[in-house]
Amino acid sequence: MKTIKKSHLAEWLNTVAQGYDLFGPALDGVVQFKRVESSDQLVFDYANSVVPPKNLFLPQTECLFAFRREGGSIILEPSGGLERERVLFGIRPCDARSLLLLDKVFNGDLEDTYYQEKRRGTTLVGLACPSPPQRTCFCTSMGIDPLSPEGVDILLTDLGDRYLVEVTTEKGEELVEGLFLPSAEGEKPKGEKGKSLEGIEEKISSLWEDEYWRELSRRCLGCGICTYLCPTCRCFDLTDVGSTLGGKRFRCWDSCMFADFTRMASGVNPRPTGKERVRQRYFDKFSYFPEQYGVLGCVGCGRCSQYCPVGIDIRTIINEVMARGAK
Amino acid sequence: MASDNQPTILVFACNWCSYAGADLAGVSRLEMPPHCRVVRVMCSARVRPEFVIAALSRGLDGVVVLGCHPGDCHYSEGNYYTRRRALLLKGLLEHVGIEPERFQLRWISASEGAKFAQTITEITGEIEALGPNGRKQPLPER
Amino acid sequence: MEQELREIVRKLLQEGAIEYFIGYAEGVEPLHTTPCFIEREEQVQALIWSPLCPYNLARYLHQMKNEAGKVGLVVKGCDARAIVELVKGNQIQRERVVVVGVPCQGQVDLAKLEEAFQGVEAVEGKGDTFLVTVGEKVHRVEKERLWREKCFSCKHPISFEYDFVLGEMSPLLLARGSESEFAMVEELERLSVEERRAFWRAQFERCIRCYACRDICYACYCQECIFESRAPRWLEKITTPLDNQTYHLIRAWHMVGRCIDCGECERVCPMSIPLRLLYKKVEKEVEQLFDYEAGMRVEEVPPLVTFQVDDLDLVTQESS
Repeated sequence: MKTIKKSHLAEWLNTVAQGYDLFGPALDGVVQFKRVESSDQLVFDYANSVVPPKNLFLPQTECLFAFRREGGSIILEPSGGLERERVLFGIRPCDARSLLLLDKVFNGDLEDTYYQEKRRGTTLVGLACPSPPQRTCFCTSMGIDPLSPEGVDILLTDLGDRYLVEVTTEKGEELVEGLFLPSAEGEKPKGEKGKSLEGIEEKISSLWEDEYWRELSRRCLGCGICTYLCPTCRCFDLTDVGSTLGGKRFRCWDSCMFADFTRMASGVNPRPTGKERVRQRYFDKFSYFPEQYGVLGCVGCGRCSQYCPVGIDIRTIINEVMARGAK
Repeated sequence: MASDNQPTILVFACNWCSYAGADLAGVSRLEMPPHCRVVRVMCSARVRPEFVIAALSRGLDGVVVLGCHPGDCHYSEGNYYTRRRALLLKGLLEHVGIEPERFQLRWISASEGAKFAQTITEITGEIEALGPNGRKQPLPER
Repeated sequence: MEQELREIVRKLLQEGAIEYFIGYAEGVEPLHTTPCFIEREEQVQALIWSPLCPYNLARYLHQMKNEAGKVGLVVKGCDARAIVELVKGNQIQRERVVVVGVPCQGQVDLAKLEEAFQGVEAVEGKGDTFLVTVGEKVHRVEKERLWREKCFSCKHPISFEYDFVLGEMSPLLLARGSESEFAMVEELERLSVEERRAFWRAQFERCIRCYACRDICYACYCQECIFESRAPRWLEKITTPLDNQTYHLIRAWHMVGRCIDCGECERVCPMSIPLRLLYKKVEKEVEQLFDYEAGMRVEEVPPLVTFQVDDLDLVTQESS
């Protein structure tokens, strides 16, 4: 098994930062995955970022193209792609799984070139999760192993004074090429099993008319925190900014929790109250997503529970659905 | 928007006093810098502070509100409200680092054509000296 | 105190005096609470009270416009100011609300708590200390060490009439050697314009426009929020420094004379933007220029809907 001493990690990352744009967990008010020039801008004592790394692939604000009027015609200028290859250091297994889920949407039958280019141009160096987990984590109940290299190119696992280095893809091999990683004894810690959520899709479907969603919606403010901080939420809006002479078209995050999300130009809103919107969100995660893509749409990162302004906890909702739903 | 160091300044002038004063300045052929864009409102109280906030955030270099002298408002009280709003808005703008000269309130009556020209010249000079509004941000590329 | 609260609510429900009661309940983890809506007697047991109840439940009175009947709720001193303002703004009628006042002696800042102790199971207020239970041990901690920032400048509405009070209603014990509540604003005032611009630019850049600060605020009750308006469109959904600044400045403007410094906006911001520092500036100006504090007395007229002929005049720099 390959390992790298903790004291050598900084050096390795600095080398990486010379050839790639290095992104990692940095402190800017809160822990965020940001572009860093050197490894001393990184933090290592963190559970997870506030904004999930989906931001690097589906940015909150992304210019798609610029347009301007010239003579009688309209000129479109597509926005430039990545200038350099990127390395994302410090992504957790839950977020790594979320990228695999987003791939099904943006990299499947419908090809989103903006997303794809960023995915192709980024090498993922994951950091396995420490034990015990953060109080809001429940990835194991979503079938995710917090010690697994699934979805990343390299996974580092903390063994005390060194990291275990698991390279699982060619992209990962390229990154450690030439790097002297002495083979040393390294035993991989064992993970724990989570709760089984078998049958949740049928169970939640059976609760479509249930009063539970209305009760939840009484507390819910309808802000965008759960959706914006969710690694698998992916709704977006398109907007043109400029004038009739020229401007730019942007894609930006949108939230199904906002009251006007489904409001149409006529004023009709098929999800008129909080009840419909709250219900829709959980159905998307546990019914619609698995129906369409064959796998649950939640990765158990717990951000929605951690940051909900009024303390709504998705685990309570899951437990309620499992207890009361009919198969 | 502005090119080089030429500022773009938005001026709200109330119909009954300051806009009439502006007309008088024009008719009297008084000279003043051309950077001000004048918008006529019926009363200075029509100016919502959101106009000022949006204008300055979008990169306009300055916003000026001109109204009747207190006590002379065509609608009796409008400018008293304007006065309070401007006072509080100025404090807020200064708090977030917008130079105080970028938002100004002045009283100009219908007969004060010369004062209008003088005010515009003075304020334009003050704002020009500040340089372009740092808020003018290029839109993100990616 | 919890028992007293439950008894009061039980009786109110039994008598049919209220349709439902808004209170605090335990959350999923120890130390975490959540708002709850009690409609039936069987649910009353869920009601709790502790120094870990930061929510301003008056925010949930917004829906009363669409409902019939009376509603009950429990409020801390800061929250009661919201009720005064909601009555002033014609959003609720005082007679339709049954207000249970709880003599809050300060709320615990979870971040400060978690920094000081690991594995806390419970926190209780006692006099001027908090009793922090960790396993077998109970630590006595001076309140100032764990208080939320906003608690240091606590103001109770002077003449608020509660329908019920749990125990003795007393204003918060003032912090020893407390500095001016506007100290943090004054600190910023001493910087240059450019320094302040750089400071706020860095804050607004982090904003992800989740609108949680708006949605948690008791004072944001517009049917159609200015930011949802499409004609005119005040700002775009994109998170540029320009749009973020527009959002925060307009919200700060809308809080003039209405912010009660309940601190909820800052608590809920996931990006740790110091929103209290933004709104506190106008609170200071309103108090110093117009001798007005939001949420103290229902009869007081908000500063922006009135004027004095001898108001300070920016133009002439005089109070005529």
